[in-house]
Amino acid sequence: MSIENSDDNGTEELHNNDKAVEKNMQTQVTPSSLATVAGNREVRVPGSEMLGIGLETRGVHAWFGKKHVLADVSLDFAAGTVTALIGPSGCGKSTFLRTLNRMHEFIPTAALAGQVLLDGRDIYAAGTDVTKIRLNVGMVFQKPNPFPSMTIGQNVLSGLKLAQLKRSNTDDLMESCLERAGLWSEVKDRLNEHGGALSGGQQQRLCIARALAVEPQVLLMDEPCSALDPGSTFRIEQTISELAKTMTIIIVTHNMQQAARVSDYTAFFLSDGGPGVMVEAAPTSKIFSAPVDKRTEDYVTGRFG
Amino acid sequence: MALIRSVFQDELDNVSQSLVDLTEMVSTAMSKATSALLNSDLKLAEEVIANDEKIDDYQHDIDSHVIDIIARQQPVASDLRALVTALRMGSDLERMGDLAHHVAKLARLRHPECAIPSELIETVTNMGRVAVELTNKTGMVISTRNTEMALEVGLDDDEMDDLHRQVIAKLIEPKWDHGIESAIDLTLLGRYYERYADHAVSVSRRVYFLVTGKYAS
Repeated sequence: MSIENSDDNGTEELHNNDKAVEKNMQTQVTPSSLATVAGNREVRVPGSEMLGIGLETRGVHAWFGKKHVLADVSLDFAAGTVTALIGPSGCGKSTFLRTLNRMHEFIPTAALAGQVLLDGRDIYAAGTDVTKIRLNVGMVFQKPNPFPSMTIGQNVLSGLKLAQLKRSNTDDLMESCLERAGLWSEVKDRLNEHGGALSGGQQQRLCIARALAVEPQVLLMDEPCSALDPGSTFRIEQTISELAKTMTIIIVTHNMQQAARVSDYTAFFLSDGGPGVMVEAAPTSKIFSAPVDKRTEDYVTGRFG
Repeated sequence: MALIRSVFQDELDNVSQSLVDLTEMVSTAMSKATSALLNSDLKLAEEVIANDEKIDDYQHDIDSHVIDIIARQQPVASDLRALVTALRMGSDLERMGDLAHHVAKLARLRHPECAIPSELIETVTNMGRVAVELTNKTGMVISTRNTEMALEVGLDDDEMDDLHRQVIAKLIEPKWDHGIESAIDLTLLGRYYERYADHAVSVSRRVYFLVTGKYAS
């Protein structure tokens, strides 16, 4: 009789593997163990090197006039990590993003409560220089918005000019910003052309390069790829993962796969008609494999929203 | 959107139903293989042996279907767990089919003799019964996603382990007088049933994981 198939030790090995995976998952959901979270990208431990300790929010509420649009959001963004904010339209995620560099207050009747701490200092504290905050916390918008009358090179350096910052070697800075934004090789021979001559995807990377020139610690991105084709989206996502080595990134996206691809952490926002709340925040792998809250599960699986 | 999602839900339900069907095929195979073994029924043994290919094909169909859903729907969270576990449950069930096939082959090999000496008939009968009960319960676990029942399958498997130990104990008794060949047959048979049951436990544990996102401890 044949005995070659008689041994079947597979199951025990599988069980051992299951345990190893389980252990790994448990490690990942511990908020302090950042180093294990970001897949193959090395993540800086908060407080290390030059990254600072990141951004923290404490009980943030936002209003437009009498309408309470965001309630009690406390969320930390460790330095050197990418956090995706997801949720259906009207859930308050973009409003929340805009409270992080005081853009929210540009809107008439807008009001805010709570604290936003950058390296432990409240950016809403009396006497804070708002311009300085926005230099430290840059922003990239949904629609690429390079200055149309400026050249590509001038666009990159425009932030310095507006903030009246002096840099000794602006050519090097321009090159390094365009390089980090993944655009240098495409524009190095046409730096004197107008920004408007670039494609949509290139314009968006130009906007990223412009945001980088003032050396922010944090970069906010509000649906940066929603107007771009898949190829440009891919290049921006690569840029995000490169940038996260040296800065903290918070990205609002409606593209669930994008959130899953680029972020270390994901926070899910939802409004049930009242103000938006943060339902669940966890390592991205957790949100997309086994979220805790039923509402998160229903949203990421596409059952509503 | 809602329409497309409900198609997706139907596809997930189909996968789950296919696994239940596969469980029934495997359970029938083991039931018939045991009967062929105990009654030295060549025709029944041949039937089980021939049917194994159908079980393999059925598992391949489930695999292809799951891969197709993953490619087109990009499932996440519990949907993703359901599909990934379906791949693994399918391979567990296919392996259970192979083990039933091994039992049937042994029945055929010893025909017209009975491979089981009289003093082990009762033990092997019980192993066959427990194997089929475990499989049927596993089918219920897949269709109901009842996590308590999923964990029960692991406890029910203790009976199989006891029976396996009984077989081995008989084989090493000094008064064993059925020869080495028969001892090897029984050693392998005991192992087939014991492994078969472990795969059923494994399938049930995967259901526990797909429902809870946690591994059964």
